[in-house]
Amino acid sequence: MGLQGDFYQLLKEQGYVLGVPGQADAGRELTTATTILAFKYHDGVLVAGDRRATAGNLVMYDRTDKVLEIDRYSVMAIAGVPATAYEMARILEHSFKYYRRTQLQELSFEGKLRALSKLLKENVPAALAGTGAVVPIFAGYDAGQEAAKIYFYDILGAEFEGVDYAVSGSGSSTIRGILHYLNTWGEQPLSAMPEEQATVQALRLLTSAAEFDSATGGINRDAGLYPVIKLITSGGVRMMSDLQLRSLFESRVSKGV
Amino acid sequence: MYEEPYRWVEAVGNRRHYLDDQFKTGAPVVGVTYEGGILLMTMSKGTSKLYEIYDRLALGGMGHPADLEKLRFNLLEMAHVEGFNRSASDVTGGRLVKYGIAPVIKQAFEEVFKAPFIVKILLVELSQTSRKDGFLTINYDGTFEEKSEYAVLAATSVVEQKMVEYLRQQDHVSLEDAVGGAIRTWAVGDRVQRRALEDGEGQNEAKADSDQQGTDSEALYAHLRRCLDEKTIECAVLDRHVPGSSKYRVLTADELSAVLPKDLRPTRL
Repeated sequence: MGLQGDFYQLLKEQGYVLGVPGQADAGRELTTATTILAFKYHDGVLVAGDRRATAGNLVMYDRTDKVLEIDRYSVMAIAGVPATAYEMARILEHSFKYYRRTQLQELSFEGKLRALSKLLKENVPAALAGTGAVVPIFAGYDAGQEAAKIYFYDILGAEFEGVDYAVSGSGSSTIRGILHYLNTWGEQPLSAMPEEQATVQALRLLTSAAEFDSATGGINRDAGLYPVIKLITSGGVRMMSDLQLRSLFESRVSKGV
Repeated sequence: MYEEPYRWVEAVGNRRHYLDDQFKTGAPVVGVTYEGGILLMTMSKGTSKLYEIYDRLALGGMGHPADLEKLRFNLLEMAHVEGFNRSASDVTGGRLVKYGIAPVIKQAFEEVFKAPFIVKILLVELSQTSRKDGFLTINYDGTFEEKSEYAVLAATSVVEQKMVEYLRQQDHVSLEDAVGGAIRTWAVGDRVQRRALEDGEGQNEAKADSDQQGTDSEALYAHLRRCLDEKTIECAVLDRHVPGSSKYRVLTADELSAVLPKDLRPTRL
């Protein structure tokens, strides 16, 4: 138990249960979170998410952070039921810290991927019951291979590597096609884009998703609401400030929006 | 036979002598605040004696490595479960010690048919706001003391007192000051311990070492240079300025070389 540095096992020994399955009430709409994306750019990986949380046709919240920093080198972006997703993020954050502190070494990148996969698998009954489906993207810097990587999951816990990009959430079908187009016929592939250009593309992609998906929050300049964009490089995770996003949005995105 | 009160008291007394013997050759540990956080310092022969416990908590230990590991795991489990179930702010050194490991250590010490923990622990806690950083020392019998600004671990309380007297007079504003002061304080303690061993009587160390001789910087550096032949300097900090929630980091060899007192810099590290 403790000697293996497995925090989730420790929690379970104390009676903790993740995602208790319940019957989704047909008349009750659950809060869900919407468009997230990640793609490789010149220096690493960019992960972005809109800020809207909805329940049916109601906007529950417009300041949701769906791009969660799990540790200095990894990020989990969430789509699905935020209650379960935030709980998973908290378990992962503690698991990675607990492993590092007990075993006196960092958990490998593969180990981190597996940890999320295990949580999703444990959550299957709740996901299938309709009360706790989470479809995350996990991105991070793999120190062993000296490369930033992207993985996406299905609700059963299967993990797939997003070689160039990954998307999830209700607005993802809109931007998946754009990402494919940009990466294949754009002036340069996504992985060659410098930071500023990658950020501009992320803002344009999320704005496009919001155009066609009512459950994805667009940019609200009056309220100063911009997406959450995090960059993962060999130096760790860094968040783009609202000031930077505002400047890029006004100079290179807002045309026609 | 231990059911008679006198026998039990005698057994506990014997146990105290046994444990005091175990620490005679142990490496002291020094903890001191500086403007950017808290420094923990010791010298070791390979096995680390400084550890990260939680976001703002770190541990320095003396004693048997296996016992130290067992208690370290206890602390880690308690801290992480509490941090998950409540919040990181609820994981405090005081709670972990008073309601966590101190009673366990005391019980092991007094159960004379079982082995006691051969450990002394220094738990340091970086507060949310500076000025309230905390230090907790726990003895092998479970007694604990709360201190502020600095604390040390050594073989006996007499040695610890000499170290604290020296440390009190040292500047510890910058990291460089703190490292220099901590290393010299370590040398004060180690010299007194070694002299006590050579004299064969642990109780005479106070008079065996005149204050002037014992705290002269040149003599301390000479002693440290001798120690460096078989040990390495270990320094870790709870750094208030590190981004993110985890504040613990070990000073790398390069960082350490840059802040070591000049008299020690040419040595291998």
